[in-house]
Formats: sequence, structure tokens, C-alpha cells
Amino acid sequence: MAPFIRIENVTRRFGDVVAVDDLSLDIEKAELFCLLGASGCGKTTLLRMLAGFETVDSGRIEIDGIDMASVPAAARPVNIMFQNYALFPHMSVANNIAYGLRRARMAESEIRTRVEELLRLVRLTGMDDRRPHQLSGGQRQRVALARALARRPKLLLLDEPLAALDKKLREDTQFELVDIQEKLETTFIVVTHDQEEAMTLASRIGVMDAGKLVQVDSPRQLYDRPGNRFIADFLGSVSFLDGIVTGAKDGLLEIDAKIPVLALDPGGFSVGQPVSLAIRPEKINLSRSRGKAANNIPISIVDMAFTGVASNYRVSGPNGIMLKTTQPNQRGEDAPMEWEEQGFASFDPADVVLLQD
Amino acid sequence: MKFVKSKQIVVGLAASALATGLATVTASAEEVLNVYNWSDYIAEDTIANFEAETGIKVTYDMYDSNEVLEAKMLAGSSGYDVVVPTGDFLARGREAGAYQDLDLSRIANYANQDMGVQGFANQQIGIDNAGAVYMWGTTGVAYNVDMIAERLGDDAPTDSWALILDPKYASKLADCGVAILDAPTDVLPNVIAYQGGDGTSMNGKDFESAGDVLNAVRPHLRYVHSSQSINDIANGDICAAIMWSGDAFQAAYRAEEAENGHTIEYYIPKEGTNLWFDHFAIPADAKNLDNAYTFINYMLRGDVAAANVNYVWYASGNEAAKSDIDPEILEHPGIYPTAEAQKNLFVVPVYDARLDRTVTRVWSRFSSGS
Amino acid sequence: MMGQTTWLQRNGRRIVVALPLIWLIVFFFLPLIEVAQTSFTMPRRGIPPFEPLWGFGKDGFFTNFNLENYALLLEYWQDYLGPAGNSIRLALFSTIICLVFAYPMAWWIARSDPRQRAMLLVLVMLPFWTSSLLRIYALIGLLNPNGFINTMLLFLGVIDAPLRMMQTDFSIYMGMLLTYLPLMILPLYATMIRLDDDLLDAAADLGAGRVAVFRTVVLPLTMPGIIAGSLLVFIPAVGEFVIPALLGGPDQMMIGKVLWTEFFRSRDWPVASALAVLLLIILAVPIIYARYQDGRTTALDQQYDEAQQNDIKPGAA
Repeated sequence: MAPFIRIENVTRRFGDVVAVDDLSLDIEKAELFCLLGASGCGKTTLLRMLAGFETVDSGRIEIDGIDMASVPAAARPVNIMFQNYALFPHMSVANNIAYGLRRARMAESEIRTRVEELLRLVRLTGMDDRRPHQLSGGQRQRVALARALARRPKLLLLDEPLAALDKKLREDTQFELVDIQEKLETTFIVVTHDQEEAMTLASRIGVMDAGKLVQVDSPRQLYDRPGNRFIADFLGSVSFLDGIVTGAKDGLLEIDAKIPVLALDPGGFSVGQPVSLAIRPEKINLSRSRGKAANNIPISIVDMAFTGVASNYRVSGPNGIMLKTTQPNQRGEDAPMEWEEQGFASFDPADVVLLQD
Repeated sequence: MKFVKSKQIVVGLAASALATGLATVTASAEEVLNVYNWSDYIAEDTIANFEAETGIKVTYDMYDSNEVLEAKMLAGSSGYDVVVPTGDFLARGREAGAYQDLDLSRIANYANQDMGVQGFANQQIGIDNAGAVYMWGTTGVAYNVDMIAERLGDDAPTDSWALILDPKYASKLADCGVAILDAPTDVLPNVIAYQGGDGTSMNGKDFESAGDVLNAVRPHLRYVHSSQSINDIANGDICAAIMWSGDAFQAAYRAEEAENGHTIEYYIPKEGTNLWFDHFAIPADAKNLDNAYTFINYMLRGDVAAANVNYVWYASGNEAAKSDIDPEILEHPGIYPTAEAQKNLFVVPVYDARLDRTVTRVWSRFSSGS
Repeated sequence: MMGQTTWLQRNGRRIVVALPLIWLIVFFFLPLIEVAQTSFTMPRRGIPPFEPLWGFGKDGFFTNFNLENYALLLEYWQDYLGPAGNSIRLALFSTIICLVFAYPMAWWIARSDPRQRAMLLVLVMLPFWTSSLLRIYALIGLLNPNGFINTMLLFLGVIDAPLRMMQTDFSIYMGMLLTYLPLMILPLYATMIRLDDDLLDAAADLGAGRVAVFRTVVLPLTMPGIIAGSLLVFIPAVGEFVIPALLGGPDQMMIGKVLWTEFFRSRDWPVASALAVLLLIILAVPIIYARYQDGRTTALDQQYDEAQQNDIKPGAA
């Protein structure tokens, strides 16, 4: 069976700028897919092409087996939730939600039932008569969601759905959004620049850069096994080391990255090949004495910042290497290491990610 | 009542409002004089010559309609020392207490006045020392010679009000454009005269029936307006109009200058027409009285009066000026009417408030078409 | 919060409010009261040309209050009804014509490149920097039988005889359009520039065609601009008489001209004042009332809004 949404070699230019560059992507039914990228990477353009607000220069977009090339925005089984919600300020909550239904000439009694249903879904029962300017940010966001869902679209596009909310509200709303998506089994495509948001929401994430999809994977895969340096850097914090493979034995690679490093061999690397090493800060352990781990590097603390749950360190090792590490603030025998103290950084070969570029 | 300039109403009001401010600000420490006169109604160097001769500093402001002047005078404290109202406006203003009577003994050159003209003018006001006539003129008909000939041939009554007021002729001219002055006291008395009545009538019924005559030709009129006809008749956009003499000459002059092939002529209709006089007068609250007399005396000097006539092309109230006036002007029948035409000239009396209302009402009905 | 504040800080807001209020009282309400008073007096030959409404004479307080001017207006109502009808018709059609031209122009300006917008707005305003009479005379120069348009058309052989454009409804409304268009464009532009493009996309996304988007979103949201622009055009257009006098035929007696005539020609300041007061009541009062009603609902909304904000603490929703 063909995938629910098929994007095939789609390109869109604005003057000299290629916003979306020969991009292909398949999305399954009822999936919550996230397009992640920095601003200007082309993710919003792709979203607008799916909604029908932008034309496609070349390539094709298929939704549920139908080519969308000649289908105008109003006729697509797609609805969009705008970043600023785009609620109609002159209409009540109920009329905002009913807007799409009225355009479809649904009977008024049916509309009333559907609006009630949606208000219950987004937990805004009784707010029918409010105007958008009488609502809080979170309430507006939920009205926008209800309005976008009213026509029961096959595909819902969400443009930075949580960006306008404050941090605490955002965390609550993320889970709510996932709940609603699971309940309705509608396909969601969320566009965001916030990697944490993408990881919380999505079953799969497509990372975009300069109009191209760089990697499409589950959140865990993307984080633990980033395909290249860009993704490793984009998703969370990471320390990079550049080196050359000097030997291989027992499923481990020996690498000379100004310091000797042992890494789990993922295959495909040969002796003499240049390689980038990426190590997540939480995978590096700091201690005053040399530990038992395969990789043990003498360091001194350059910088530390206490953040509550954990402390973030920058440490320098031999030959001028720098590493970032995060140490949990647990109750323990050892007092946390301090400014300019000497010690050791240790990490497991399995936690060293090898990147070819 | 002379060249009425285009911006008459609106700009006139604004300008005069501004002018009052300026005039009252002028300090009285030095010898000053505030004069308020019609626009384009004086030779270019007259004021400068007066200042050089007397050392009096003149603030010279201009207006475009008697109504504007009158509203200012009736509001009081205008700040002016010499103004130039037309006879009926002067008479009414005097009655309201807006003007002071002249002490003729302080105007040595009053002896230069043409006593026939001055007497006629005094008769209209009712006393002999309300003002000194500066210039005077008539109301008549201006027409485009070729256009009228083309439409009416030899029938054209180019010596009668009938050209405009008889629907028989007016209807044939509707396509080339007929216009009437928007000035009831310069039109209605002439309509009464055209009907064979007395132009000096004060009977409301005469005005009602004059209104009927006007309403009968109204469908053939292009518009009722006081200043637009000058340009339009000069350009051939209209072909006949009731106009003030000076405006008609200005239009004829413009057409001639433009060499656009239009010849404009002006005549005083045989049924008679009204004469009007513009007087030098002194507002009741004039602050520089001595200088006002000095100025009026200067303006009545023969050579000064002649210079002004030669510039503005209106008939002067000054006899002594005649020796210096351009013969072309003196011999022009439209400016100095022939003895024959003079027989039918009349002066519109000053109406009382009741008749004023009737006149306004008749005129409003005519111009609104109701 | 209750720290030291200077007198200026405590009363600054009042001063800011008081200044325009004083301005309004001195330059709007006092003249209005003067006009209203004059409308109850009788004319006379004198300075000023009407009797004082009240005062203190030899026998103490006296008053000349009477309603004769209003009675006169009533008696001759037919003479005023025609011009009033002409004026209201002129104002109404001028407003509609201005709206028809201004709406797409304002839309186009609001949707054009931000760098060009300032330039386009200046172009809209440009005619305002010249005298309106000058523009009217320029228009006469274009429309006259021997004017530019006729000369061109005759020269090109499009027509055989000059078109009659002056002294017609066409010339009047051209003049009104020329004069009042910017007053309509600017408030429309102001509402359109605030109109979020996403709202149009949202409507289209929810199944609205072009007409439906206009009817359900653009039109209601630009309605404040339509109302403001229409009032800005309609109110002065009712009093307009220079344009119809210069561009129109003899049938164009406007109420403004009647006022002018009563004031200047009949020297009947009391009747002119009575007419002005009546016009004000007939035209301005319904408009002010409508705006007041409008303002009240907005104020209610705002109260509601503030109550909401107090209810919902950040993050509590």
C-alpha cells in the first residue's frame, strides 16, 4: 500500500533562494510527524505547500493517493493550525470553530453538536460566546486546534503550535496534543524549531537544513545515533573530537583524536580514515581519581554552571582538547568538583558516536 | 463689484480672517493706515507713491465680495480705516452703525468729484456724505459674436435682456452655454426692467414675477455663478452671460490675448440696467482717522484717480481725472455709457429686511430649481 | 508602589487629558453655544446684526429668547428640503463612489512592498498639499468642451463633437472623488495594514472561496475603516457647495450654499444659525449616538477582558 502522504522530489524557489530542494518524504496514516529545523530551513514552505498556499515548482505531493497539484487549499482534506493561531477576532469561539463547517454548508443543528464535541475535546466547554481577545494564550491555542480539527481533516498541519506559550504551559500542552492526536488518529505534521518539543511530540522527526531533509528517524535514534555532525550539534549539546582510526580489535576502534579514544565499531570504518567523534555531555563522568572505564582522560575544570538538577562543566584535556559534560547533582560521597580542580573524564566506548564527515 | 475672482467664497473668507489678525497687530506708534479694498482694484504703484509722499505705512488687504466685507463690518472691530463697499452695502452698513459719515471739509479733493455721478450715488444712500465714489459700472450682457450669429442669425436681440431672459432665444443657445450672475440684486431689478417694470421697485410682487421669468429660462442655463463666466466665455465654453461690465471687458481682453478666435462683446440692454458705485468709506471704529482722510484725499487727486482708471478699466467718479484718462476708455460705451443708454440707467434702492427676505427666497427657489 | 511621587507624576495623566478637553471647549463647544444662542435671537441692523439673547439693561435682566427663526424654517421647509435633499444625496453618492474606488486602492497599497508603501501613501496625500480649488480648476480645464480631454479626443478622431462633461453629475462626482478620496483611503489603509495575512489563509484553509473570505473575514474586519472613512467623507460632503457650484449646473443648490446665502446675502445670522443647529441635530446626533453605542460595547468587552486576565494567572489555564 502506498504511504498516506507522499512527497516526491518537491522543489520550491523564491527568486534565487531555493526554499525546498528536491525533497522526498513519506508519512504514514495516524502518524505524528515532526519537521524540525532552524528558521529559514524551508520547513514552513513545505507546510504551506501541503496546505495549498504555495505552489510546487517541480515534483508532486500526494495525499491519500490523490495528486494535490490541481486541488486548491479550500478543497484539500488538510487543515492548518497557524503559529499565531489566526483566530478570527470578530467571531466568538463557537463561530470560529464552526467557520469551516459553515463553509461546508453543514446543517446548523449538526454544527452545534460538532462544536460542543470539539469544545469538550479541548476542554473549553462553556466558552462558546467568548471573543478571542477575552481568552488566555493557552485557551486561544486550544480554540485554534478545535477549529482546525472541526472539518475532520485527514491531515492536520501545526506550525510551531506551542511557540507562543510560556514554558510551563508548553509542557502541559505537549502531552495534551499527543493525547488528542492519539484519540483522533488523525495524521499530524508539526513544524518546529524547538528540538525538545519535537522529541516530546513526534513518533518520527525529519530534520531539515537548507531546503533538504538531512535525516528522518525516531527521536531516540536521532539523538543517540545522529547521521552527521549537523544533527548531532542541532539536537542537544555535544562535544566533538576530530581524529584518525589507528586500529581495530574486538569490535572496538582505536582512534587518535589528540588523545587516544576507544569506540564501539559501528562498521564501515577502516584504519587510516579520518573520523569525527561526538560524545553527549551526560555520557561523560567526572571523578577525582582514575576510574575503570575504557576511556579515561586527565582533565582540569575550566568552567562550571549549576543549573539545579545538574551542573554543566567545560573541561580541558591534553593537547588542548575541550569537552562538555553534565554531572547530576546526586547526594554522594564525593563533593562536586570545583573550579580549576584536576581529575579524570571517563566514558564508555559505546557512547562514542562516529561520524564520517 | 468688479472682477470677482475665482476663489471668491472660500479663499476670500480665509484670507480676510488672516488679514484681520495682521491688521490689528500693527502698532500705532508710527503713522499707519489699514486699507481693505477689492482685489485688482488699484494701480500697481499707487500705495507705494502714497507711502513715499506721506510717510504713512499702509497695510493693504483685499476682498472678493461685498458679502465678505459686510460680514466683517457687522462683526465689528475689523481694524480697518478705509474700505470700499458698493452703495447698497454702504447704506445698510451705515444704518447698522458700521460706518461713520465723512467730514467732507477734511477732503479738499472732494471738489474733483463728478457731481453728477456722486449725486446719483448719494441719492441711493439717502445722505450726501456717506462716502466718496471711487469707481462705478453697470450690469449687462456679454456674448460670443460668432456663436450667437451662427445660432440666431440676424434675429439675435443683441441689445436686449431678451437674449438671455426669453426662452425663445435662450433655448437656442443652451447648447453653447448661457450663464447668469449669482447676484440677486444685480439680476432681479433688471428682470423687472425687462418686463417693463421699474428697476427701482420695492414691491415684493415684482420680484415674485421676476422669479417666474428666471425659472422659465432656467432649463436652458448652464449655471448660476458669479466668477466662472469670465474664463468660460473667453474660452468659448459658454456663449452668453449676464455679467458685470469690468468682468466682461476682462473676458474680451483674455480672448483677444489668447487669439483663440472668440470675439466677446458687451452691451447695456435697451430696457435699462442698474448702475453701481463703489465708495471710499470709513468704518465707525477706525483708529487712524487722520490718515484715513489723508488717504481718501490722495485717491481723489485727479492724476492719481486717472492712473487707477487706466489700470483697472472702470469708470471713475472723478471729474478732474478725465484729462489724464486714456481716450480709449473715455470713449468706450461699455465703460462710459452713451447719453442714450444713460437715460435707462437706474440705481437699485436699499431694500428693507422684509424685501431682503423675499429677494433671498425668490433667488433661492430659482437657483435650487424648486 | 506607594513610594514618593511628584505632583506632576500624580496629575500628569489628568493634565494630558485636560489639554485636549480645554481645546475642545474653547474651539468647539463655545462657538457651538454661540451659534445656538444666536439661533434664538432676532436680526437687526447693527453690530452684531442680531439682538443679544440676554443681558442686564436699565430694568435689570432681560431676554430676547424666541423661536421665530425655527418657525420660519418650518414655514418655508420646502425651500430647505430641496437643497438638504441635494446635499444628502450628493454626500451619500460621493461616499459610495469614494468607497468603491478607495477600497481596492487601499488594499493594493496595504499589500504592496513595505518599501513602496510610504511612497504610495505620499502619492495619495499629494493632492492635499495643493489648494482644493486649484485642483477643481484643473479638473475644469480637463473636462471643458474646449478642454484637454475633448481636444485630444477630437484630434484623435474618436468623437466628432465635444462631449458635454462639465455641469453634469459626472463632473460633480469627479470633483468630489478628487477632493475626498484620500479621506477614505487612509482609514481603510489603517485597518487593512493591521489585517493579518494568516487570517485570509486560515479562512481559505477552512474551505472559504475568494468571495466567502471577503464576506466573512475581510469585510467585517475592515468595517471600522469603512465606517470611519465614510463619516470622514460624508460629513464634510453634506456641507460642500463650492464643488457643485463650480462643476455643476443650476440645479445644484446645496444646503451649504443656502446657509451661506442666509448668512452673507440675507444678513440673517439668526436664521442661518437656526439652520446650522437643525442640520447638526439631524446629521450629527444619530452618528454620535451610533458611535456611542459602539463605544459602549467595546468598553464592555474591555472590562470583560481585564476581568479575564485577572482570573487567569499565567500557567493556570
